[in-house]
Amino acid sequence: MTADSHSVGAEIPRDLDEALSLPQKLRALRSSLTRAIFTASEDRLFLLLAILIGILAGLSVVCFRVAIEWTKLVLLGASVSPHAPRVFLAPALAGIAVAVLAIRAFPRARGSGVNQTKAAVYVRDGYIPFSTVIGKFITCALAIGSGQSLGPEDPSLQMGAGIASALGRSLRLSRKKVRLIAPVGAAAGLAAAFNAPISAVLFVIEEVIGTWSAGVLGAIVLAAVSSVVTMRYFLGPDSLFRVPPIRVSHPSEFIGYVVLGIAGGFAALAFLKWIAYFRPKMMNLPRWSRYLQPAAAGLIIGLIGIRLPQVMGAGYFVIDQALHGQFTWRLLLVLAVIKIVATGLSFLSGTPGGMFAPTLFIGAMLGGAVGGIEHHFFPQRNATLGTFALIGMGTFFAGFLRAPITSVFMVIELSGNYSAALPVMVASLIAYVISRRYQKVPLFDLLTRQDGLILPSIEELREQVAIVIEDAMEPEGALVVHPEDSAASVIARIGEQKNIPLLLRVRAGEWRLLDQENLNRLATDAGKPHIAAEANSKGPLPMLFRDESIAEALRWIGDWPVLPVVSRADLGQLEGTLSLSDVLKAMQKAAVV
Amino acid sequence: MSEETRQVISEAQAGVMEELPGPPQATSSPRYSREAVLIITLVILVVLSVVTAFVARFYHNKIRSLADQWFAEGEAAFQAGDAKQALVDYRNALVYAPDNGDFQFHLAQALAAVGQGEQAQSYLLTLLAESPGSGQINLALARIAAHSGSKSDAINYYHRAIYGVWEKNPLGTRWQVRRELCEYLLSQGALTQAEPELIALGDQVPPTDITRLKITAGLFLRSTLSNRALNEYQLVLNDEPGDDEALGGAGTAAFHSGRFAEAIYYFEKLSPQKRADPEFASMLETAHQVRDADPYEGGITSREKATRAMNALRQAQSRVRECAQPQNSSSQSGSQNANSGSGANLEDLNATSEKMQSELHESDLMRDPGRIDAVMSLVFQMEDAAEHACGMPSAGPDRALLLIAGVHGGGNR
Repeated sequence: MTADSHSVGAEIPRDLDEALSLPQKLRALRSSLTRAIFTASEDRLFLLLAILIGILAGLSVVCFRVAIEWTKLVLLGASVSPHAPRVFLAPALAGIAVAVLAIRAFPRARGSGVNQTKAAVYVRDGYIPFSTVIGKFITCALAIGSGQSLGPEDPSLQMGAGIASALGRSLRLSRKKVRLIAPVGAAAGLAAAFNAPISAVLFVIEEVIGTWSAGVLGAIVLAAVSSVVTMRYFLGPDSLFRVPPIRVSHPSEFIGYVVLGIAGGFAALAFLKWIAYFRPKMMNLPRWSRYLQPAAAGLIIGLIGIRLPQVMGAGYFVIDQALHGQFTWRLLLVLAVIKIVATGLSFLSGTPGGMFAPTLFIGAMLGGAVGGIEHHFFPQRNATLGTFALIGMGTFFAGFLRAPITSVFMVIELSGNYSAALPVMVASLIAYVISRRYQKVPLFDLLTRQDGLILPSIEELREQVAIVIEDAMEPEGALVVHPEDSAASVIARIGEQKNIPLLLRVRAGEWRLLDQENLNRLATDAGKPHIAAEANSKGPLPMLFRDESIAEALRWIGDWPVLPVVSRADLGQLEGTLSLSDVLKAMQKAAVV
Repeated sequence: MSEETRQVISEAQAGVMEELPGPPQATSSPRYSREAVLIITLVILVVLSVVTAFVARFYHNKIRSLADQWFAEGEAAFQAGDAKQALVDYRNALVYAPDNGDFQFHLAQALAAVGQGEQAQSYLLTLLAESPGSGQINLALARIAAHSGSKSDAINYYHRAIYGVWEKNPLGTRWQVRRELCEYLLSQGALTQAEPELIALGDQVPPTDITRLKITAGLFLRSTLSNRALNEYQLVLNDEPGDDEALGGAGTAAFHSGRFAEAIYYFEKLSPQKRADPEFASMLETAHQVRDADPYEGGITSREKATRAMNALRQAQSRVRECAQPQNSSSQSGSQNANSGSGANLEDLNATSEKMQSELHESDLMRDPGRIDAVMSLVFQMEDAAEHACGMPSAGPDRALLLIAGVHGGGNR
């Protein structure tokens, strides 16, 4: 019986329906419903689980955000400019607690959470212990709430993945599905944390899955949407920061965005290089020092926070202010630089927390600063500081996290305005190219490699040269034989090419491989003339098209010595042939290149 | 794999591999069936939803109370005149309610109060983008523009505020905003722009609203619309005939309108304390002088007219001579060189007047009252030239003659 036949109504036939009492009907209905759910195919269950995971992730993120805010209120107070002793002591003391928890109780909670999730997907078949979820929740709430310069998005991503993984394992899903379900949870967690489902889906595809996988896309979207709906139900629909209306009125404004792209690219590069250089050194410090590293980072951040409290924590309110042009460009520039320092310290110290929010913070400040400088020198330009701050967020994001597609869609999603698309594309592309040029390995790939793992990267995938059939096929690799051709004439056409494959075109779209020996025999039959179609043949042959990938050809080539490559416009027109040896030659050639 | 990558991996493996999680746990030995797990998950989901709802509600209440608390503190500080502290408190309030337009508006006001007009303007413009018809926001922007000297912006925002949306008492508030605009324009000396606004302001005042009638009349008095001011004050006096403020205003308005008899009437009805006011006393005295010197006053005899005309001529001669004398004595000094032309003019006028005086007698004027005009025309010319050369006399008969000239003959006045 197929899964479709399990529809509820089909379970109670009409005559039986009439004979049953109400309790019996209810029991029957419950039974049929239960069967419909629990005996559903794994694919259908997977989609159902995606919604469930989305809701659970959404609920967790709501609690997580409240926990962070609550910790902040308790440790730093309710004012935007807390008293100096609090600012100085809270991150340091919380840092000690976080270190003890992260080393003793929740060792898997260290780091941002993105590369750990990716590692879980690719190395441990999607296995993320539930203790990681709890550990991430507690340590990150404490760290971010105390003012460490980190954000809640990446931990939310890992928490979502952890919830999904635990649920998948508990439901005895296949190993393949458990591996796929972690990114589903990751997207749900990130979507709820950032209140932006499209960006979350793209980010998970770019950074966690590392490849475009159509098989899991539906579930990811479902989970992201259900988590955002859940989160909005409890915390309201407002974004983490308000984006003012933006307008690009004149093409000359793009000069400013080009400058922003260059500035963002080099700033992202500096941040990347700093982390890339110091992280191995920090990891090589004595083990006991790990208890003190978060506290030391907290102490320095606290010192900075006495003068510049804006750099503490995730900084959404500060981003909001920057987007509304409430800082001078000098302050914006200082905040961008200091935030890079503070975030680097927090991250390198091993304090659990994410890079997503700090990246947006730095980008917004840098963008605002560039906008302010432009406005200072060219006051006639119309673009506001808020517009530059918004574009700056996407720019730095593209340069630092090397997720250019996410960065563009994120800005569009946040602003709800397609006018932002062109500026952010220009600036992001420039920042991405600069960052890519001088730092080959993207941040999260770098971190996993520093942890001893090589995971698939969408950046590498993007830059891979795809080998298509056109690169491998032999244009003159076969002789086309028509059914009405006489056997003798075909033999005559073969001439010296003794081993050339003979492709019989039965009709457009049907090709067969003629047996040359049999054709020879027919041709030499003196009794009567024979046509080529009378010879033995194998087929019909699978057809290939010149733009298809080699991988696609390998699926079909099987035991056939050669396959026809035909025109998409005319299935009877042979454009070439492909054999296994052609494929191997092309691949060897590509490897050498 | 590149050499660089291999190197990175080997370095990392040496140091951090012990941190990586262990191998995946077996997933093939579940304790519960799939059905049980799903049911447990649903139960967990329900429980977690309830907990989250409780937590979220508690959180929202806390955030709301924090926002209100900071806002209240900001209000208290602002009322106490501590705009700096209010600014901090309003900022704190906005952390917890960033979309609250009221908080933003108050923050903008605090910013304006501490002299951060640009930031205040930025906040207000953001708010204005959301509510372009808000009278309150436009008024605040108008005040900032007025303070920063941007007159056209100020007028523009004042107009938007007048025609904007006001939730409480829209008619009364619009009238107050227009009054503020009138005061601003008058303070800027923009009488041409002020007068239509003043007329609109006056038209919106019901004749029974004494307070507003007085305000409007006071503003009319500051412009050139003295007649309108007199009308408004008269409306007040209809209801409150003994109102000193209205009597003083009406007297002043009548005085400036050249209606000196009415001015005397109102000034004389003032209470003794008010009449002692130097400004009123001076105007009353001048009004009396005008009344006594004016040959055109109705109800006087031909003899009296002729006498007044001849007195006026003598007074003008005296004024011209007084004015011409110091000029002649200091005609060598460079500072007076510019007035040498007017000095010559004064002498010519004096000569003309002397000739007229020698040729005319009071009896001639009595016989031919039309010649009074010729005498008075010369008088007005002489007083005008003297004023031009030596300045406006603050009081006395010459001032009276100038005022008569303003009413009857001084076309340029």
